[in-house]
Amino acid sequence: MAGRVRSFPDVLLSVANISLSFGGVKALTDISFDIAKGEIRAIIGPNGAGKSSMLNCINGFYHPQQGAITYKGVRRSQMRPHEAAEQGIARTFQNIALFRGMSTLDNIMTGRNLRMKTGLFWQALHIGPAQREEIEHRKAVERIIDFLEIQHIRKAPVGQLPYGLQKRVELGRALAAEPELLLLDEPMAGMNIEEKQDMCRFILDVNDEFGTTICLIEHDMGVVMDISDRVVVLDYGRKIGDGVPDEVRSNEAVVAAYLGVSH
Amino acid sequence: MLYREAGQFKTTYVADQQIFPILQDRVFVLAVTVVAFLAVPMFASPYLYTEILIPFLILSLAAIGLNILVGYCGQVSLGTGGFMAVGAYAAYNLWLRVPEVNNLVVVFLFGGVMAAAVGILFGIPSLRIKGFYLAVATLASQFFLDWLFARVKWLTNYTPSGSVAVGNLSVFGWKIETPADRYLLILGLVVLATLVAKNLVRGHIGRSWMAIRDMDIAAEIIGFRPLRTKLTAFAVSSFFIGVAGAMWAFLRLGAWEPLAFDINRSFQILFMVIIGGLGSLLGSFLGAAFIVLMPILLNQLPGWFGIRMSTALLSHLEFMVFGAMIVFFLIVEPHGLARLWAVAKEKLRLWPFPH
Repeated sequence: MAGRVRSFPDVLLSVANISLSFGGVKALTDISFDIAKGEIRAIIGPNGAGKSSMLNCINGFYHPQQGAITYKGVRRSQMRPHEAAEQGIARTFQNIALFRGMSTLDNIMTGRNLRMKTGLFWQALHIGPAQREEIEHRKAVERIIDFLEIQHIRKAPVGQLPYGLQKRVELGRALAAEPELLLLDEPMAGMNIEEKQDMCRFILDVNDEFGTTICLIEHDMGVVMDISDRVVVLDYGRKIGDGVPDEVRSNEAVVAAYLGVSH
Repeated sequence: MLYREAGQFKTTYVADQQIFPILQDRVFVLAVTVVAFLAVPMFASPYLYTEILIPFLILSLAAIGLNILVGYCGQVSLGTGGFMAVGAYAAYNLWLRVPEVNNLVVVFLFGGVMAAAVGILFGIPSLRIKGFYLAVATLASQFFLDWLFARVKWLTNYTPSGSVAVGNLSVFGWKIETPADRYLLILGLVVLATLVAKNLVRGHIGRSWMAIRDMDIAAEIIGFRPLRTKLTAFAVSSFFIGVAGAMWAFLRLGAWEPLAFDINRSFQILFMVIIGGLGSLLGSFLGAAFIVLMPILLNQLPGWFGIRMSTALLSHLEFMVFGAMIVFFLIVEPHGLARLWAVAKEKLRLWPFPH
C-alpha cells in the first residue's frame, strides 16, 4: 500500500511563509512548502484546517497578508485569478462550480477561452478564422471528452447530470485549459467507491499522460496515501507535517490531529 | 413522425455545430423566411404592416438586444428605452447634419454604435454591483437619457417641443416610401441582426457571457475577465437596441419626441424578454409577438363575438386580461414561451410512441 516513490528535481511552485487572516480569524499561519514539477501533491487536514484557503491563495483568489508565492521561478505579489489562469493554473471546486445553464460540451469549451482569440467581427459572421478556431478547439475538447468517457452526455445540460458526472465535467473543463498546475479541491467528496476509483484513475492518467502537476485536497486517506507523491498536513492553519505518505503516516503530530491525543 | 433527427448523422464538426442541426428545423425556418419575404407582401394591408408586422419586428430586435444582456450575460437592465433613444437621436443627427449620407443602413449603424458607446459607459458600474442594484443603476441611466434629450436642445435641433421628424428616406438608392418598403427593409435588417446575434451567442464570446451569468467566480478563475466580458455584453446589447431605436423612430414613427422612449418602453421590452424566455433568441420573437399582438387581439375579441362595449371599458378590460395573462404565463412556465416551444418539440420527437 505504500505510495509510489518517484523523484522530482524541479520546483514548480513554492509557498514561503504565507499568512492569511480574515479580520481576527487566522486562516493560515506561516505556511511554507513546495510543489515539484510533475508530482501529485496532496494537502490534507481536518475540517477548517485552511486547505481550501491555501488553494485560493495559489490561484489568486485570496491575497495573503504575508509571505510570497513563487511560480515558475517568478515571485509574485498580488495576482488576479484570471492572471493565474493565463499562467497555466487551473482548478476545480469543492462545491461544483459548473455553468449550469450550458451543455457539457460548452462547459468544457469555456476551459479553452484563453486560447480563443478571434474578435467580435469574425465571431459575428462565424466564418473563416472564427469557424476554424471553433473546430480546432472542438477537436481538443472532444479528446478530453473521450479521455473522461463522457461522450454520451456531450449535449446534455450539466444541471441535469448526476453528481459524479458533474465532478468529471468540471475536471474536463480544468483540463481543457491544458494547465501546468492543476488544483483539485476535494475531487472525490461525496462519491461512492466506484466513482472514486474512476476519479483516481483519471487523476493518475492526467499526471502520467500529460505530465500535469497536480495539487489536490482530499479527505479519503486511502486515496491520498495511494496516489500522492508527497503530502502536506495542515491543522488550524499551521503546517504540522510534510513528506512522502509513509513519513506523514508515522508523524506523531499528524496522528494526534486526526485521532486526538490522550492527556 | 415528421419531426425526428433519426438517421441524420453528423460526420463533421461543421455539420454538428450548425445553427439548426435538425433538417426539419432548417426547412421550417427557411419556409418562414421565404413566406415573410415573398408571400406576405402579396396580401398584406397597410394596417397589417404598420400596426402589427413593423412593430413586431423592430421590438423583436430590441428584445434580442436586451436578451443578450439579461438572458445571456445575467446583467439586469432597465435602461432599454434610453438606449433606444440614443440610437434614434444619434441616427437623426447624422441624417440631419450630414445630408450626404442619405442611406438608412449607415444611419442606423451609426445609431447602434453610439448606443453601444453609451451602453459601455453605463455598464461600467456592473463590475461592482449586481442584481437589483444594477437594475437601479440602469434605471438612473434611463432617467438621465430622458432628461438629456428633453433638455439639450442641440440634439433635437432646437425644435420647440423636442419633436423631430424625418422624411425622404432611402437605402442605396432604393426610396423607402410605402409600408411594404419599410417592412422589407426592416425584415432584411432584423434577419441579418438575428443571424449575427446567434453567431455571437454560439461562439466563445457567447460562452463567456453565459459563464459570467451562471457563476462569475468560476468564470474568473478559468480566465475570463469579468469587466471586459460584461462590457462586451453591454456594448453588443446596446448596439442592437440602438439600431432598433433608430428603426423605431425612422420607420415606425417618422416623427417623434423623447417621450417615445420613456421608462414604459424599457419595461415593455423587459416583459418581452421575460415572457419570451431569458437566454433564447426565439424567445425574443415570441415575447415581442405576445406583447404586440395580445392587446390588439383583446381589443378585437369582444367585437368578433358581437359583444358591444364602451371604449373605456374595453381598454380597461384589455389591461386587466393582459396583466392576468402575464401572471398566468409566468406561473405556468417561468422560463417563457421559448421553453414551451422546446418542450413541445421534445414531445414531437417521440410522438406518437412516447415510450
